[in-house]
Amino acid sequence: MKVAGGTIFAGVSSTYAFRILTTPGEGLAGDEIVTTGHRWGMVIDLNKCKPGCTACLDACRHENNVALFGDDRWDIHWIRKVGLHKKDNPGVGEKSILLLCNHCDKPPCAQVCPVRATYKRDDGIVIVDHHRCIGCRYCMIACPYNARSFNFRDNEEWPNKERPKRSHGVAEACHLCAHRLDQGEMPACVEACNAIGAGAIYVGDLNDPESNVSSLIASNAVKRIREDLGTEPKVYYVGL
Amino acid sequence: MEIEFERIEGRSTQYRVMMFAFAAAVIAGLIATWVVIEEGIWVTGMTSRVPWGLQIVMAVYYIGLSAGSLVISGLYGVFGKTEYKPFARLAVYVAMLFLIAGLLSILTDQGRMDRVFVEPFVYFNLQSMFSINPILYIGHILICIVYLWALFTNRKKLTTVVATLAFGWAFCVHSGTGAIFGFGARVLYESPLLPAAFVAAAMASGTALMILLIVGLFKITKRHVDDVLIVRLGRFLAICLLVVVYFLVMENAYRAYVVELRDAAVYYLFGGLHSILFWFGLVIVGCGIPLLILFRKKTGQSIKWIVIASAMVVFGVLCERYVIVIPGLTHPPELFPGIEISSSVIEEGIATYSISFLEVLQALGVFGAIGFLFSWGLKYMKLLPTEARIDVHTPSKEVPSRPREMKVHG
Amino acid sequence: MNINKILGGKIRILAVAIPVLFILFPFGYSAVASLMAGNVNDAPLFLEKADSEFEECVRDATYMRYHHWELLRYVREEVVRYGKRGDISLQKCQDCHKNREKFCDKCHDAVSMTPDCFECHHYP
Repeated sequence: MKVAGGTIFAGVSSTYAFRILTTPGEGLAGDEIVTTGHRWGMVIDLNKCKPGCTACLDACRHENNVALFGDDRWDIHWIRKVGLHKKDNPGVGEKSILLLCNHCDKPPCAQVCPVRATYKRDDGIVIVDHHRCIGCRYCMIACPYNARSFNFRDNEEWPNKERPKRSHGVAEACHLCAHRLDQGEMPACVEACNAIGAGAIYVGDLNDPESNVSSLIASNAVKRIREDLGTEPKVYYVGL
Repeated sequence: MEIEFERIEGRSTQYRVMMFAFAAAVIAGLIATWVVIEEGIWVTGMTSRVPWGLQIVMAVYYIGLSAGSLVISGLYGVFGKTEYKPFARLAVYVAMLFLIAGLLSILTDQGRMDRVFVEPFVYFNLQSMFSINPILYIGHILICIVYLWALFTNRKKLTTVVATLAFGWAFCVHSGTGAIFGFGARVLYESPLLPAAFVAAAMASGTALMILLIVGLFKITKRHVDDVLIVRLGRFLAICLLVVVYFLVMENAYRAYVVELRDAAVYYLFGGLHSILFWFGLVIVGCGIPLLILFRKKTGQSIKWIVIASAMVVFGVLCERYVIVIPGLTHPPELFPGIEISSSVIEEGIATYSISFLEVLQALGVFGAIGFLFSWGLKYMKLLPTEARIDVHTPSKEVPSRPREMKVHG
Repeated sequence: MNINKILGGKIRILAVAIPVLFILFPFGYSAVASLMAGNVNDAPLFLEKADSEFEECVRDATYMRYHHWELLRYVREEVVRYGKRGDISLQKCQDCHKNREKFCDKCHDAVSMTPDCFECHHYP
């Protein structure tokens, strides 16, 4: 009986594993691998960023169906705006800054993911495979930027039906609108920022020395958040 | 002389009430887990800022408890101390159960429980502590099963081999559990001492639990246990506690000494509810009073006092697990050193966490499950010896045997 | 060695019964679930005809009937991991198979499958 049970179990599980690992649909996906060659990065010019403006935040929320539950304990923010001032010195040097996933070159979140659901694509975008995430939340603990969120409950809103939303129980973060970059478009936040005429957010190829972001990084004093941690973020700030 | 093992009869009212209570706890836990699966994790006390809660605390605690009980059996299996042979079976069984409890707690904590059984094994990530640990845990459970089998069938050579393996493996298990936190990025987690501290605390809590179980079970089932054995275990517990205190002092002294960690140390030691648990639960009840009891000659020899000290240690280590897991999360990662975040859409700065009712029910359910299995094992497996005497080589016929009401011939 | 020495009488039945029940649970669950849904009959299922000018789907109908999920799973990995956004996707299925309730759900219900695709992907 034990042998029979073991055989059934081994049979079922190995079949399932085999199904997962084999590739029955060879050739059905697009042929072009768009992730090689590029190395996407972002530059945010805080001098051009308008105080009180939430265009990029709203665009992101609409484009990617980011959930808002009306309770700051569980609200999800792929990109958020925070105000900063020097310690013991409120009011002086007040500044607002956009915070989002930094798409680190050495992402701690991808390192700790037990199922490799969070990983770095060849073009440097750190992305979550929501189909695979088991919801252990270790990535949220590993991220030093507080940039990752967890779907604590189901999202009722579904503004953009073209794009998927997330079920409860998986982690998520900004994926730099990978679906748009793959098709040669700019991320939603960049388009929204350009649309209102501010043009504070730039996304481009860091490998290309003549791209907009490379030249901005070369010509300005840029800073990244917590460079000392060695995670090598790819979001650069002008005027931080 | 061979030690005889016997089952308990398990027909008394108390036994049935206990089984019923455990079963009720399991059902409550299942209902709570079902609610969490249906609704999402927001029904627990966890938030975006504190993504780990009571379930992880309990998982770490249970896994710790399993270590110490294995140490007791290791005293016989590895170091050949035959006077502990009577407890070996019980100890291994308890070790196995608590590891199962730890795994159950981790399982019920996941956001997508349906994926836990396939994805982590198919897409194994060797870089993640969360991927390595399940392998260690499952290996530990398997080793415990082989160990139990060797003990039950009296295979001396196999017992020594498996006991040694289990002993080493247990060290890996606890170091691995500590590494989940110790190798993490949070200020209050990051510490290479944490895995070692985990091993020490695990051995202390496990030994304390075994003292409680042995004294309790032998008393309830009217079996004889020599006081010397318990006193020796008490001494062992005292040594473990000293190591725990040493790591505790070192870690906090380091944080208080290094300038950039001083804020975190102040928050850890004097920053809210967890500080009360730290000082009152861990330092005073968990370490201070038990050490006093165990090292005073009068109380250190008395079974009653040793049991009190053990109960305090078991509680103190639970507090220790809490003050490792939760403050590390509520203390914010510093995004801009020297700069304060004045306004934000989410809760920046110190976060808050409060345990919710459903989490308590889930934790109770896990406890009920292993309590049920434990009592069930006592009834159906020969876990308990008829008596535990220090000198097993002299025939015990001269000693008038005590009445054993629960004797059953299996 | 004799297992009787370790385990008592009744427990042997349990020791066999629990694993067997555990293994058989999915079958029993599916049976009960389809009974509850009232889908137990041998009548052939009539799925909605595809609304398109094409003769057949990307593969022949029999293959699609049993293996469409493998194709979707494969394409999913390619898209998420390598950005190979090709012709196949859940969005593209909708071009011909317009109604989820008359097409996808009908068959899934009959075989007691609850894929979680539609929790996150929109399908009218």
